[in-house]
Amino acid sequence: MSGTPNSERIGRADLSAEQQVALEALLFRLADDEFVHAERLTEWQIYAPTLESDLAIANIAQDEFGHARLWYDLLKRLGYTEPECLWERDPTEWTHSLLVERPFGDGDWADAVLRGYLYDVAERIRLEAVADTSYAPLADRVGKVLEEENYHREHAVNWLERLTADDDGRGRVQDALDELFPYALSLFHPGPREEDIVEFGFRTEPVAEMRTQWLETVSPFLESLDLTVPEPDEVERPDERGRDGTHTDAWTELYDEFTATYHELEFETPATLRATEE
Amino acid sequence: MPTDVPMDSEACTFTEFSDGDPSSEYPETGADATGIEAEVWKALYEVEDPEMPVSIVDLGLIYDVSVEGDRCVVEMTLTYTGCPARDILLNDVACAAETVAGISEATVTLRYSPEWNVAMVTDEGKDRLRDFGLSV
Repeated sequence: MSGTPNSERIGRADLSAEQQVALEALLFRLADDEFVHAERLTEWQIYAPTLESDLAIANIAQDEFGHARLWYDLLKRLGYTEPECLWERDPTEWTHSLLVERPFGDGDWADAVLRGYLYDVAERIRLEAVADTSYAPLADRVGKVLEEENYHREHAVNWLERLTADDDGRGRVQDALDELFPYALSLFHPGPREEDIVEFGFRTEPVAEMRTQWLETVSPFLESLDLTVPEPDEVERPDERGRDGTHTDAWTELYDEFTATYHELEFETPATLRATEE
Repeated sequence: MPTDVPMDSEACTFTEFSDGDPSSEYPETGADATGIEAEVWKALYEVEDPEMPVSIVDLGLIYDVSVEGDRCVVEMTLTYTGCPARDILLNDVACAAETVAGISEATVTLRYSPEWNVAMVTDEGKDRLRDFGLSV
């Protein structure tokens, strides 16, 4: 499907109610993936195996938070507030993929590297599929993000090549691949508004097509590292879907953790310096 | 692969940063602006990046200035999307524009295309960055 030329793109004021609902679904998927992925990556700070890798992963997390902010900003322009997007949003309304919410095993660097790779390839494919979007404010932001994502992929590929250079390392990456692969497939689970998203030209490729592209990219690369890629149609799939708001238990824990400070601050009852006088 | 032989790759992997394509229209520096718009550009010239002593105009971050009556709209970008100084910069830019006589309200909007890259820094900006110790 071809994209929308610049001159024919639509702005916020042109959206019909139906279009807005579909657009919001697309934006929440984008934003939630980036936010939750970043949130998990920050767990590596001060624990990554070398100083360079520590700085690199912190930087990648910061980039992903930056991208999440770009997409949540577009939702704000459609009327949402930050608490509605993040801090007060019910955890069952989040539509990120299951891959990004998975907890890391203690010191499982192979997981962090492989997860980054699987996610970043999917991210590139998805961004390319919205580069010719019909929604002008979204189109403005895609090029910049794609440029930044290149560095993330390069980082993951470099590390995967190093980790799989001996049997021990390759075994760890293989374990991570077997563990993460079924969850990674949830990146391409169509959400409830999938058909409208494509029909209105917000994204120019259906997720099914993106899934094929992703498999055709990650499988040959991982196999070139002597890894065995599970058969996508044969792996045991989790009951949860991610994109429809169903999530694994790990998500509930993560959500409680990153919203805890917000609730502790008790914005409804501002702190006072002195006890209330009688 | 045995680990006691050198790998068939460079000793240290590295990331190659590219300068990006220079844009024919950017950087915008307000050189052609007149009247109050020129005054706004002058005021924006005084705003420095919070992390480096370089004017944000020389960095090529300002994409457009337009004045209508006593209102001013500044379009700008950020060097990268995760820039933690975003709110500081937006506020500094709005405050600077509002110091101009004749402007009572300034709005700052962010734009991400064309994508900013080092080629959009002015020659003056590159000199300042080199003085600061960056290789550009």
